[in-house]
Amino acid sequence: MRMKTKVPMLVLAICAVLMVAGVDVYAELQKGHYQSATLGQSQQAGPTESLPDSQYGGRAYPLYLPELAAGAGKAEVEGYCSMCHSTRYITMQPPLPAAAWEAEVTKMRKSLGATIPDEAAAKIVGYLKTHYTPETRKR
Amino acid sequence: MDAKEPFLSRRGLLKALGVASGGLAVSRWLGTVSARAQEPAPEKTIEGFTGPGANPHWNSVGPYVTEPQKAPLLLLTDRPVQIETPRHYFSTAFTANDAFYVRWHLDGIPNNVDLKEWKLQIEGNVAKPQAFSLPELMQKFKAVSIAAVNQCSGNSRSRLQPRVPGGQWGNGAMGNAMWTGVRLRELLDAAGVKAGSVQVQFQGLETGTGPQGMGSSRFMKSLDFTNPVLDESVVAYSMNGEPLPMLNGFPVRLVVPGYFATYWMKCLSWIRVLGAVDENFWMKPAYRIPDTERGNTTADDVKAGKVNMVPIAKMPVRSFLVSPDGTSKIPAGMTVTLRGIAFSGYGRVTRVEISDDGGKNWTAAKLGEDYGAYSFRTWEASWTPKSPGKYTVEVRATDEKGNTQPDEPVWNPGGYLWNRIEKQELVAGIAG
Repeated sequence: MRMKTKVPMLVLAICAVLMVAGVDVYAELQKGHYQSATLGQSQQAGPTESLPDSQYGGRAYPLYLPELAAGAGKAEVEGYCSMCHSTRYITMQPPLPAAAWEAEVTKMRKSLGATIPDEAAAKIVGYLKTHYTPETRKR
Repeated sequence: MDAKEPFLSRRGLLKALGVASGGLAVSRWLGTVSARAQEPAPEKTIEGFTGPGANPHWNSVGPYVTEPQKAPLLLLTDRPVQIETPRHYFSTAFTANDAFYVRWHLDGIPNNVDLKEWKLQIEGNVAKPQAFSLPELMQKFKAVSIAAVNQCSGNSRSRLQPRVPGGQWGNGAMGNAMWTGVRLRELLDAAGVKAGSVQVQFQGLETGTGPQGMGSSRFMKSLDFTNPVLDESVVAYSMNGEPLPMLNGFPVRLVVPGYFATYWMKCLSWIRVLGAVDENFWMKPAYRIPDTERGNTTADDVKAGKVNMVPIAKMPVRSFLVSPDGTSKIPAGMTVTLRGIAFSGYGRVTRVEISDDGGKNWTAAKLGEDYGAYSFRTWEASWTPKSPGKYTVEVRATDEKGNTQPDEPVWNPGGYLWNRIEKQELVAGIAG
């Protein structure tokens, strides 16, 4: 009896693994490649060389790192925020009130699962409040 | 040589000519010369950010950048990619693929797709799960085409007061294309949707580095199974008669006519029939609007928990003046042609009107070719600034359901649904 149930369980387990793997089947595709670039120096793209094979695309996306304000917490911002997105997400925003920055960091941690320790999160919020509110933003 | 003294300065020229003649004819001739010889002002660049006031510009303020398969467009963010279409590209009913705006949520954007590997899977609450290659989609099903506007839910977010966080789009997070592909309904029928189905979920190749099961790892969107828009939706493999740019969703993307672009899944690879309501991050709390008139609310009401938030859906009516754009002065008395576009997610645009007296009097514009209910509709109108001065030209559209753009702002925490009447200052100069 025990043996009989064990086999279907194993099959089920393999199926479950395959289902999860199935979701990731295209994770093998080249994805999320970015390349540093400099603003204001955008040249014309050269001619594209394509082979008549089944591969489409293949170019990296340019990455333009912004100049963040200097100050305490900058390293934490560059380290933790950049895990998922470029810090241009900060400089692109309008000056936001301190409470809005606090809510953003909370959203990243709680709703989106960013693994930022409490101490670093406090430093990040402090940095954003010091440099990116209506009262404090300079550039 | 000093830049301010190019070859011969104006004063130097006057002196030289004055010494040489001093005659009346020469000084009259000189008058025109000096009018032309005024020192030109250097080109100003736009500010690096706007706020806490509203963004006063038509577009967002980012620099031009060139992404793969794209013309230089305006940068919001680089990783993931968000770039905006500059105003002048909207002078035609269809937006060129290389000028079409781009908005991704997660940084795992495909650089590359291998069509030998790629398949569109239809799974979940279905009798026969299916997987179609691109040739199968192109050959097994009837090709249909539809002109439809794709507009980001957050288009014009930088207009809101108070400002809200998010992509600080100007008006250029929109575009219109002729989409060709397969009817979504035919694909669902091929898989045989089972009883008890509640929603259809769409997932593309967009992934992020966040933990499994969270919004930072997968981007997915769902529509109710009973929503009639599913009958109009198309899985498109062609955009304006060409393959889609990678950044716009190669090899296929979902087209949901009349609906905001959040549902138009790029690189669509899974169509999943669900037996329960999808509550993943991108359905809840993201992309939700108050169930109030125009989706309007206040921060206080949201904080007090007074607002019922529902998934965003159709696009309200909008219209835009594309040219003249205010960068050039118009000689008073000259008749110019005002040109622009209009659209509505609720049906055909039936009327576009112009006012230059603060909305007291409105004149009907002439509508361009009709490419269907969900397309941009071009419009034009003749306009003459009678005397020198500053004018504010306003444009408003009405759709076939009778919805007219209001001159009232809208505010909600996501920064969605902006459709206030657009205004453009135009300057008329002395003609002579």
